[in-house]
Amino acid sequence: MSESTTGHVIDVRDVSKWFGSVVAVSEVSLQVNPGITGLLGPNGAGKTTLFHMIAGLAKCSDGEVSLLGEPVRDNPQLYRRLGFMSEHEAVYSLYTGRQFVEFSARLYGLEPRGPAVDRAIEMVGLTEVQDRSLGTYSRGMRQRMRLAATLVHDPEVLLLDEPLTGTDPRQRVEFQELMLRLAAEGRTILISSHILEEVEALAGRILLMVSGKLAAAGDFRAIRAKLDEQAYRVRVVSSSPRQMAAALVQTDAVDSVSVEADGGLVVQSRNVAALMKSVPLLAQQHQVRLTRVEPLDDSLESIFSYIVER
Amino acid sequence: MGPILWLSLRQLGGRMRLAIVLLLAALPVALAVIIFFTAGDEAGYESDFVNVLLDGMIVGGIMPIVTMALSTAVFGNELEDRTLSYLVLKPIPRWRIALPKLLAPIVIAGPLLVASGVAATIIGLDSGPRAAAAVGAALFAGVVTYAAIFTWAGLISTRAIAFALIYVFLWEGLISSFIHGVDYLSVRGYTLAIMHGIDETGLQVLSSRVIGLPAAAVGAGAVTVGFFLLAVRRLRTMDVP
Repeated sequence: MSESTTGHVIDVRDVSKWFGSVVAVSEVSLQVNPGITGLLGPNGAGKTTLFHMIAGLAKCSDGEVSLLGEPVRDNPQLYRRLGFMSEHEAVYSLYTGRQFVEFSARLYGLEPRGPAVDRAIEMVGLTEVQDRSLGTYSRGMRQRMRLAATLVHDPEVLLLDEPLTGTDPRQRVEFQELMLRLAAEGRTILISSHILEEVEALAGRILLMVSGKLAAAGDFRAIRAKLDEQAYRVRVVSSSPRQMAAALVQTDAVDSVSVEADGGLVVQSRNVAALMKSVPLLAQQHQVRLTRVEPLDDSLESIFSYIVER
Repeated sequence: MGPILWLSLRQLGGRMRLAIVLLLAALPVALAVIIFFTAGDEAGYESDFVNVLLDGMIVGGIMPIVTMALSTAVFGNELEDRTLSYLVLKPIPRWRIALPKLLAPIVIAGPLLVASGVAATIIGLDSGPRAAAAVGAALFAGVVTYAAIFTWAGLISTRAIAFALIYVFLWEGLISSFIHGVDYLSVRGYTLAIMHGIDETGLQVLSSRVIGLPAAAVGAGAVTVGFFLLAVRRLRTMDVP
């Protein structure tokens, strides 16, 4: 798998995109190399717009994007080496799953097509249902067949925009295994998501976008460690708030607990994973019935704001 | 080109759409039969037939409406469904996307409208096979020209139908009827001129208000090629949703 003459497979330099007076992406520079890179950000952060510019679907208002050392815009031949899966789930529902992948294979000019189509469908585990109309597929199955159509020409670079939407936990694990296998073969994979945990299991390197800007880039663990310094708030509603509050303040994971007028508890913690494990255990120990446990901060929003503020 | 043409034909081949198109195409034939049996012997029949049925109904109404309904949808549906990226993210030149998208509505509307016009002419006009052939050839040229305009329109706007309706009824219908020079920039004008140019005798009634055949042929060709190139350019420069 080759890299560009600049040494980077994807090279984004000072890229901005605006729609009238709305700035969707602002002066973003980033480089992506072989392996899996996660592009994280809350909804509306500009991830999809950036993906579209990297894929050549959208023109940069400013700055430049190169893929494998070549300008990507108006360069269709480059798509022999790129697989792009958009966040939009629309498919040609008049096709069966197999016909949809075959259609892609034909447009990529693959000959013979059969083995490539078989391999791509097998990769996503849909061989048995390949002859069913796409209109009858579940959301997760549609996503996987779209992935098969993206992989059919065996691309060097994969851009996957929210690929796990609609998939169940088992499908996510299979997807992660597939991505890790493809990355091990030397491919460059850029995956976007607004869910931290989705990317955590896959990407060693992450890029964080907030409000159209690149907020952070680097090793996932280093950034995650930084995130863990932030306090999270979780609301706990139970049959016995006082008893639950008393139990919670005893644990190391909890920084503070306050009781709301309606009896709900607002728990502040810097170790939300430990807190989430403790809450049901404590409820069980003290025979308290939990009716609701919910994060009060949109986790990614708060994480990103935290990083940006720093 | 094959897979995109085949896809586009299937996309346009919805039952409801085809039923409406078939109904519209059958209308002139049914009307020709009625007119022939009710007014076939009246003075001025031929002139009325050409002016009202051929020009007013087929060339001025049904041909642009049918072509518009199909051609604006051919890219319009892809944009609305956000499936255009499946086509443009492939290693094929943009003209190889635009050409089958242009051809699909022609493949559906062309034969239907040609058959409709030819049948209506044979039934209603006693001018021989040459007149029917002239009507068929002219209608086909008109469909191709309109298809190029409306395919481009479907690519530049999600409101292509509104644009197309205004264009057809204001420019092609109203303005070209009153201002003779507009015929040089009117698909309706080209169609009638090609019709008359192929059979000047049989369709003599058109002679006072059409431009020359060479001008019409060049005009229709230039508009077709021009709008096709605009569609190709648009595919190269647009932001694909």
